[in-house]
Amino acid sequence: MSRRVLGAALLFTVIGWGMTAVLSTRPADGEEPPSAKGHIAQSWTFQQHVRPLLKKNCLRCHNAETMESGIRLDQLDGSLAQQRLFLWRDMLRQIEDESMPPDGEPQPSADERKALAAWIKRAIEKARSRHAEKNGSVRRLTVAQYRNTLRDLLGIQEDLTGILPPDGISKEGFTNNGETMSLSPLLVEAYFNIAEKALDLCIVNEREQPVIQSFRMELGENINPTPCPDELILGANSMLLRNQDFQVTELQPDKPFAYRPFAMRKSFRFIEGYQGNDTVRGWREFNSIYHAVFACMRGTLGYPRGHAYQCVPEGLLLRPAIPSSELFGESSTYGPHSNFKVSLRELPQQGNFRVVVDAARYDDGLLLNPSTDTPIESPEDDAITADLSTTPSPNIAIATAGIYQIDVDYVPSEKPAMLSLQLGDRHFPGTLPQQKPSTEATEEKPSARNVAFLLVRLGAGTLDLKAQVTEQSQLRMMRFHRIDEQSRQAQRFVAFERRSPILGVHVGLRRDCGSTLARVGEPQAVTAKESRRFVFEGAINNFPSPDVEEGNPNYLAGFREIGVRSEFTDGRAMPRLRIRSVEFEGPYYETWPPATHRNIFVQSTNRDDPPTYAREVILKFASRAFRRPVTDAELTSLHNVWKTSFDETKDFQQSIKHALIVVLTSPQFLFLVEESAGPEAEDLDEYELASKLSYFLWNSAPDERLIERAAAKTLRRSLDIEIDRMIADPRFRQFTQQFASQWLSLDKFDVLEVDRKRYPQLTRDTRAQLREEPVQTVLHLIRKNLPLRRLIQSDFIVANDVVAHYYGIADRSESGFQFLPVQHESENLGGLLTQAGILAGLSDGRESNPVKRGAWFARKIIAEPPDDPPPNVPELMEDDGEQLTLRQRLERHRNQKGCANCHSGIDPWGIAFEEFNAGGRYRTGDVHDPRSTLPDGTEIENLNELKAYLIQDRLDRVAFSFMKHLAVYATGRSLNFQDVVFLEQEGVKLKSHDYRMRDMIRFIIHSDLFMKK
Amino acid sequence: MPVKQLREEVFMPSTPQLDRRAVLKGIAGATLALPVLDAMGEDVAEKPPKRFCALYTANGMSLPKSEHGISDWNWFPQAKGKDFQFGKSTAPLKPFAKQLSFLGGLYHPNGTKADPHICSDMWLTGAPLHNPQPGKFNSVGLDQVIAKHTKQHCRQPSLVLSIDAGVGFLSRTGTISYNLEGKPIPAENNPRRVFDRLFRADRASLETQRDHLKRRIKLVDAVLESAQSLNKRLGRSDQQTMDQYLTSLNEIEARLIASEKWIDIPLKKQDYSHLDLTVTSEGEPRDYYRTMFDLIALAFDADITRSIAFMLNREDGMGISDTFPLKLGLTRTHHNLSHAGDKAGQLEFAKYDLFLSEQLAYFFDRLQQYQDKQGSVLDNSIVLYGSGASTTHYPKNLPTLIAGGANMGLRHGTFWHKKETRMSNVFLSILRSMGIAEESFADSTGVLHDSVFSKV
Repeated sequence: MSRRVLGAALLFTVIGWGMTAVLSTRPADGEEPPSAKGHIAQSWTFQQHVRPLLKKNCLRCHNAETMESGIRLDQLDGSLAQQRLFLWRDMLRQIEDESMPPDGEPQPSADERKALAAWIKRAIEKARSRHAEKNGSVRRLTVAQYRNTLRDLLGIQEDLTGILPPDGISKEGFTNNGETMSLSPLLVEAYFNIAEKALDLCIVNEREQPVIQSFRMELGENINPTPCPDELILGANSMLLRNQDFQVTELQPDKPFAYRPFAMRKSFRFIEGYQGNDTVRGWREFNSIYHAVFACMRGTLGYPRGHAYQCVPEGLLLRPAIPSSELFGESSTYGPHSNFKVSLRELPQQGNFRVVVDAARYDDGLLLNPSTDTPIESPEDDAITADLSTTPSPNIAIATAGIYQIDVDYVPSEKPAMLSLQLGDRHFPGTLPQQKPSTEATEEKPSARNVAFLLVRLGAGTLDLKAQVTEQSQLRMMRFHRIDEQSRQAQRFVAFERRSPILGVHVGLRRDCGSTLARVGEPQAVTAKESRRFVFEGAINNFPSPDVEEGNPNYLAGFREIGVRSEFTDGRAMPRLRIRSVEFEGPYYETWPPATHRNIFVQSTNRDDPPTYAREVILKFASRAFRRPVTDAELTSLHNVWKTSFDETKDFQQSIKHALIVVLTSPQFLFLVEESAGPEAEDLDEYELASKLSYFLWNSAPDERLIERAAAKTLRRSLDIEIDRMIADPRFRQFTQQFASQWLSLDKFDVLEVDRKRYPQLTRDTRAQLREEPVQTVLHLIRKNLPLRRLIQSDFIVANDVVAHYYGIADRSESGFQFLPVQHESENLGGLLTQAGILAGLSDGRESNPVKRGAWFARKIIAEPPDDPPPNVPELMEDDGEQLTLRQRLERHRNQKGCANCHSGIDPWGIAFEEFNAGGRYRTGDVHDPRSTLPDGTEIENLNELKAYLIQDRLDRVAFSFMKHLAVYATGRSLNFQDVVFLEQEGVKLKSHDYRMRDMIRFIIHSDLFMKK
Repeated sequence: MPVKQLREEVFMPSTPQLDRRAVLKGIAGATLALPVLDAMGEDVAEKPPKRFCALYTANGMSLPKSEHGISDWNWFPQAKGKDFQFGKSTAPLKPFAKQLSFLGGLYHPNGTKADPHICSDMWLTGAPLHNPQPGKFNSVGLDQVIAKHTKQHCRQPSLVLSIDAGVGFLSRTGTISYNLEGKPIPAENNPRRVFDRLFRADRASLETQRDHLKRRIKLVDAVLESAQSLNKRLGRSDQQTMDQYLTSLNEIEARLIASEKWIDIPLKKQDYSHLDLTVTSEGEPRDYYRTMFDLIALAFDADITRSIAFMLNREDGMGISDTFPLKLGLTRTHHNLSHAGDKAGQLEFAKYDLFLSEQLAYFFDRLQQYQDKQGSVLDNSIVLYGSGASTTHYPKNLPTLIAGGANMGLRHGTFWHKKETRMSNVFLSILRSMGIAEESFADSTGVLHDSVFSKV
């Protein structure tokens, strides 16, 4: 590496702050410059000595106009202001190692160098001994914090924050930085509107009975003795269950309070839409509940094996809902298949709802693939044979319970035939292949075929067999071979049998060309063969709604849908999901008035005394909202709002609502406030600490216990206990979700436009899971307090079936959608650096991009961020006809004046990732060369060597980067020089304990960075 | 009810309004500007209003195949740039050649991925309807972003009109307007109801509105008080943050007060004598469109609202408008015409375009006749006319015409064309021209340069 390049490499680190590995070069504590130099330095002043030297040696390039590498030194003065200390420190290093001025430029004398270095050193020391001013802080809640806080405070699930503009992003990537947060009248206006809406949702009229909608749809073959006589028509691809296979009943659930049951509208008048998409203009009347609620199966057609769904007497059997993109490589708006939905016209306007699905895991058999599975060729007497040529429903005797392979002997026709096989009350419909392309075209009678059809577990006893076949095929015989439990086929069946379908509920709206649905809660595994009730809850307004006006005259307008699916994970065969019934109840109340109401209008003996009771209500609410006791002045002011309103309206609830709107729009609620008496650092008070902790670790307001501890002034004392409790709490996911996403810039993956031809596996559903992988990894490492190096290198990944499948190790995961550690035994997995959500996000969806990856790595993993491109970046030279490799193009770019300085600190990192494609997967057989020379001259062969290098040589830096990002996120501000030096010097002490993840969180919380204001 | 009688009823000014008007006029002089004056300072009131009107026509335009030899019926002009010539189907717009421009090559990148039948849903929003955000269907439309910024200057934030009332049903929506949450805004289609809403707000609803505003003002006051008490206990640097909040509160209060005052300010005196409020969408298409355009022009002139969206007809054979070509003596419905590949069909389709051009010319004429303090209402209004499909559900090269807005820097008289230009960039350019400082719109990548927008 030439001096010039080295100089440039070091110079790039000047930008911003905290990006140099000082630990190795920093003089040991207490080391004094030699007295002679000290003497010179002490007598030096900035104006007389330093400035002229800078002018002579530096300012020709680093002035206001040229700003070489984006650096200006002409603004420096002798005061060494906080924000310039990073610059001074980097100058010092480059003066000492003589990397600046660069070769070929006039150089200062050795004495000048020494004296200048000594002066800077002293000046920095002096500046550091000045404490940075601390003036408390005021940060607005981020949109996410505001949403969480409203939910926790009021107990409403509705997300009302959709109208808020997204928060700005700070240079470190976080949305909670006080300086990047804007406030505008539009935003404040939105706060008022949300506050009013939220309180309207909480507060009910106690004297009125609630209206509750509830109904059940039961499913099963011929379950409905009085089906709708009309044929239902629903536009394009109208696929409905047969009218007699579902039945709808309106219910009156038992409730511990009086209510009015909602009666769904059953008579209608429409002028269009009732003949599908054909234009009709003519009023027509409809009168049946089945024009208000019906069972819809509309989805993408086709299924790889077996029937997507089937109605049997015991319910509706569903195979996993394969997203159409998985089936056909491109998405269809009709949604997955199978795609069962309760379509209906009316759902409550607001409030929570509950969907209860009565479901079971079907006692299923595994359909075999006639082209890859072979029939068992064994002596006839080993198999139990059912002769179907005489009767389609013989009885057969199963002597021994066990796993059986059923082979079918039949005469095929020209088309594949559907075989409906029923064994006892179990149904196994499947497909029999058509006749083989005949070698002799003249052959009159097609020859019989014998194919492997099904693996199934059968009990001993007599079995009723029913078989039917379509397409003029003729069944001849079925053979039941009991197979050895140790055989490969049996193992395969056992694995199949152990898998559980995953039940998911979705709510949304019907569109002419499909549906727009959103998932309700988390999908649930259905493990039992017996029916169980599975409960899903949500707030109706969080789901897409068609928002049609009352009396819309189109038959098709305004349909809502409740989708119930067996969720698709990775395509492995699994037993079918059997749905017996789907129940809906909404608005769902446990009590009346509901908890949201009683949280505000608390129990009191003063309920008959409006002013006193109002004071109590306001005091209680405002203290919770302000996350500390309200002051007398605040209480008086709020009470006045209530009084003015009450005097005017005589409506107690309304006037309370008005006072609470003021609470919810007051800065005490909307801002995280750390009060300050002066520029000296002060301890956070206990309530401020409670809020700071909870917004750090939960991204929401402190809970009752934190507030109690603060009130008792014991929070500081029990800090570690509380930290552990908070990390174990489910709300801690709100930390990992925010922190990991923002630290690692996962939003880039969210907005990526993937080239689906190149990366067909990156479907929307798969992307959602890959996006979650880094977050779950960070969560797992923190919860288990594992060493930081696991972020870089690890023998497990934290994955679910979808993620494991993407990496080609699906057989190692059996957790459905749940993220669990999975031993990968792969050279190219483990740690953050090989995660697809990260690597794909740093591509353009077509090609990998070493520059993006390198810049991300420098910024996020080792905290040596490159500068923004300088304002005068020259155009990239055209390839002038040469076929250059990526490496050559980058080299050419790097050697171009104006680009070199930064890119020499970016590209070497990014190149190491070259064996991972734009979809974030390891590519084999490609000529993507990951060899790289790192900025410090280390040569590496590939990403694994980069990982090893990080763990052996740069772990302190990785730890610094993690802690820096933690600290920035925890405090909601950028770090100053003191903070950075503190982290560099003190953070390294955690090395002796392997830089454990939770230890680092504790370290940040205990530091003055966090505890002082 | 006989037409004449109804008309008289409409013209009769209500006396109490007149009285108050006289009083206010005596005090303030420029009556209409009063609330704005109070709230925003004099300079704002002196500026002419900046308005926006979006007009949507479904199913695209006729772009006949070259082998039919009727390319002079192509909706797009044959030559590009300043030398363009109107085709036969846009010929009625010739008198406004200097006040309008054709834009070519526009598209919504998301439009190419979604079901083409839902192009009207995304025309003003550009949303990824093929892949909506969880819990959402659409996103905010241009007219509503504009309304968000202009509502404090006028009586009603926006007006949403359509050939069919309500919202239709999603994916065949009967409205082109989507609110900040991405929900469709029900459209009004009945001229009488539109008139009543714009010019005859009833007392009761005005009083409810006034109560709401008054209460809101009190609450904002209380928050201000509470914020100020907090401010005293903050560190110096943080007082700036709080000042921002206080300023925002003050501004909201000023807006609310302005809105409250609007309630008392009488409407601008206008001549309604040409209005025929008996027409309906079930009658003659020509009469219907003209009355609706009359209403829009009146609303702009009286500065009742500054953002209007009007869906002239609906996609894919939905609603009454599908039958309009039949009513005009053509042989196929609108949707069927858009699918025509034969010469006769494509010619008929173009003739329907011609019909729409005539109505549009009528509209421009009305806007031209009303005068603002500076220039005509047309000079101070940007009118966007177009479709979400070029022809037969093809989501690229969207037929687009932009008119008016000379006072907002629009330089007209051209057929501007640039392949694969994002519609959202046009929308962003419109926002910037109107002085609205939004950083981006939907999937915009920047404003249009070297186009009709000179002030972006």
